[in-house]
Amino acid sequence: MSYHQAVYDEKLLNEIRSENNFKFKDADEPDLPKEIVRKELKLPNVAEFDVVRHYTRLSQMNYCVDLGIYPLGSCTMKFNPKFADKIASFDEFNGSHPFQHESTIQGTLQIMYELQEYLKEISGMERVSLQPLAGAQGEYASLLIIKKYLEVEGMSERTEVIIPDSAHGTNPASASMSGFSIVEIPSDKEGGIDIEALKEALGPKTAAFMITNPNTLGVFEPKIKEIAKLVHSAGALLYYDGANFNAIVGITNPGKMGFDLVHFNLHKTFATPHGGGGPGAGPIAVNRKLMDFIPTPFVDRDEKKYFFNYNVNRSIGKISGFHGSFINLLRAWAYIKYHGSDGMHNNTVHAVMNANYISARLKGKYESVSASLKKHEVVVSSEKTGKKAMDIAKFLINNGVHSPTVYFPLIVHEALMIEPTEDVSLEELDRFCDLMIEVLEKDVLYLQSLPDVLPIGRADEVKAAKDLCLKWN
Amino acid sequence: MDNSEKQILDCLKIDSAEKLFSDIPQDLRISLKGIKNGISEMELLSEASLRASKNSRGMISFLGNGIYDRFVPASVDYVIGRSEFLTAYTPYQPEMSQGMLQSLFEYQSLICDLTEMDITNSSMYDGSTALGEAMRMAYRINGKKKVLVPENILLNHLSVLRNYASGIYPEFEFYKMDNETGEISIEDLESRIDDDCCCVIIYNPNCYGIVESKINEIVSLKKSALLLYYYDPVSLGLLKSPGELGVDIAIAEGQGIGINQNFGGPTLGLFSFMKEYARKSPGRIIGRTTDKSGKTAYVMTLQTREQHIRRDKATSNICTNQALMSIASSVYLSIVGSKGLKRIASNNFANAKYLQKKLSNAEGIDPCFFKGTYFSDVVVGLKKEVDVEEELLIKNILGGKKASSVLNAIPEKDTVPHFFTVTEKRTHDEIDFLSGTLEVMK
Repeated sequence: MSYHQAVYDEKLLNEIRSENNFKFKDADEPDLPKEIVRKELKLPNVAEFDVVRHYTRLSQMNYCVDLGIYPLGSCTMKFNPKFADKIASFDEFNGSHPFQHESTIQGTLQIMYELQEYLKEISGMERVSLQPLAGAQGEYASLLIIKKYLEVEGMSERTEVIIPDSAHGTNPASASMSGFSIVEIPSDKEGGIDIEALKEALGPKTAAFMITNPNTLGVFEPKIKEIAKLVHSAGALLYYDGANFNAIVGITNPGKMGFDLVHFNLHKTFATPHGGGGPGAGPIAVNRKLMDFIPTPFVDRDEKKYFFNYNVNRSIGKISGFHGSFINLLRAWAYIKYHGSDGMHNNTVHAVMNANYISARLKGKYESVSASLKKHEVVVSSEKTGKKAMDIAKFLINNGVHSPTVYFPLIVHEALMIEPTEDVSLEELDRFCDLMIEVLEKDVLYLQSLPDVLPIGRADEVKAAKDLCLKWN
Repeated sequence: MDNSEKQILDCLKIDSAEKLFSDIPQDLRISLKGIKNGISEMELLSEASLRASKNSRGMISFLGNGIYDRFVPASVDYVIGRSEFLTAYTPYQPEMSQGMLQSLFEYQSLICDLTEMDITNSSMYDGSTALGEAMRMAYRINGKKKVLVPENILLNHLSVLRNYASGIYPEFEFYKMDNETGEISIEDLESRIDDDCCCVIIYNPNCYGIVESKINEIVSLKKSALLLYYYDPVSLGLLKSPGELGVDIAIAEGQGIGINQNFGGPTLGLFSFMKEYARKSPGRIIGRTTDKSGKTAYVMTLQTREQHIRRDKATSNICTNQALMSIASSVYLSIVGSKGLKRIASNNFANAKYLQKKLSNAEGIDPCFFKGTYFSDVVVGLKKEVDVEEELLIKNILGGKKASSVLNAIPEKDTVPHFFTVTEKRTHDEIDFLSGTLEVMK
């Protein structure tokens, strides 16, 4: 399959010469003091038909999940089901206001309630807040909960959060933003938690240990129970980063493993679209001892109706303006309802099978950096092949396959982090693996000349940062 | 087991996929007993429709205070519904993501045109978190503690601000509003601004919905403090821009420019600032550069501020943002254009005035609870004993929220202040219907 993206020399909106043709009813201008009125507004002057054509052309210069495999490790680029988009387009849902009287939004509240129940079941936790708007915000909300819990329990001297060196950047960023200091611990040889390093780091100042399981190398942490025990007996809390949740849905859960709180990325695990970077949704779930700290309100019900429950004694308050990224909550609800417990289990199994298949096919070609049994993703290093991960990425995109995540996790040199998800055929997996192997035979100079079938060649990122140009003239 | 599955298992030299989970101890295993098995798409749609039917339809909305029932051209939902935008990830491979990157660059440019600020980032989650991030950015810039907040601030914003204060420990101080005009008390604000002041948060229109008639003077009071200016993007069709006023950071809720109400999410946090603060700013930023042959190219830039590079030293933890919503706002602004936005803004002012006029002769109703000029949210004083919200529901009207349930502070007067919000979408007939209903209720 050869690949050529549409190539337009697409002008910027403000360079398009056509007259604006928007119609709107007239109204008297308000009687305002002259000095508070703007002299002029200079938005582009474009006809609606040209606006639509402009964006349609731009869209044709963009790769997406609906075009093919998008194996970004840790990003979980599943197929985004169209039934979820359809439900998200219902006026009854997207036309309602967050301050509407509860009696007028019983359907909305029912969906939120059901999603809370699903997420409780999937995580093995006691209470869910749907309010955080993205994974990183879920982390931040959780750290605020930890902080408040420690204050209430008279343990404010616990100011350190332990984070493995393989963690996503958001973990240390969220912990630092909420006022904790970071203690980074090294990973063991296979990329797992170094128990001795953890023991050394744990102490009377430890507030929490933040990890993801499977870890960023895609390997299930075998000593998780021992880790939970160590963390709890040191008086600290154990936090589950849900970025890799899709590897364990229906198999195990953070509650069983001994975690105290967790965030979900609905745009990863439950296939809501990524929108070119967002919006996502990052609900959190907590166990019994943290139940009284979650953001308010959550959705509750009695015999007659669903309602917002504000009765959370020690709530941290609000983490975002309203009730979360509702349209994505709705899509995740649809995903869970459609797939059900059998379908979600099946999805987990297939995601893991596909990752292990890639791992097996690349064995001997690339250096594997972790235990042989993978979960949802596989990390390989191209260091010993003499090829740069970036050059491999450009070869792949030149052939119409999105690249894996490159140069992450930071603990692996020339890392390629591959997550196929369950929504890829064997044929597509083979095409990806064939390209990954084919590239190793290619001349380095040729690779450095790629891509050459896309709208641009390699972009000069150094220049972008040096001669800042962040808007049109 | 289908054929592909068998081929994969053969390649892995195992007979059952279950073996792939042999690393997860048996005592950690679960099954999702509380969730039923899956259903077909047809059944799902009927379940979803059933729930949708439990939401009321055809209500006339006079709700606002952050989320507005505004007009969205059909082309907006068409563009953001295109898979190439909807199902893409963050543009980590710029060469195959030029469409998204150029769109985001244009978004930054459009919001800069609207605000006349130097730089706009590539979006925050919503207005409230944009405000929280702006406060943190101000602290990074000057390291000072005092944060001046209007006493009538929206309760949800105040709560989010307090949560975004974690780790920087600012001292919040409330400045007063003038109880007659409903505008900022310049005297009170001036008395509180000193050298320890980190930032001053100014809403315009303010949280009562009133446009500050002396905004130039207010902005001039800031001394060494940073001015955080929270605006309504639609109002900028007419009002002086934050850039022209000379504010330091301009933030807004972008829902009103091209995004459905969505029950409050997803929306869009607009975030703009002066160029000298670029390296202290949070969030993703797109820059223009060239490829190796000199062709124009767009990339993510200034990434060394961000969490995936700088980790605990990052300017923010934000990763996922509101990219798709920012395209919605770009499509909206380019379709509506300068004249259109001015006209839409005028319709808001005109409707607010019309509502006040309609209620001016009704006994027991005070449409001039404050003397100032309203943009979209309007405070109306009503007699104490009425539970307006529930009574209006019977007439299919949404609105009449008690101001005390939305705002941190509101003065006591002879009547109880309630909010009625009008947008460009409300017709005179609808406003007549509301005023008629309120009159009968008194």
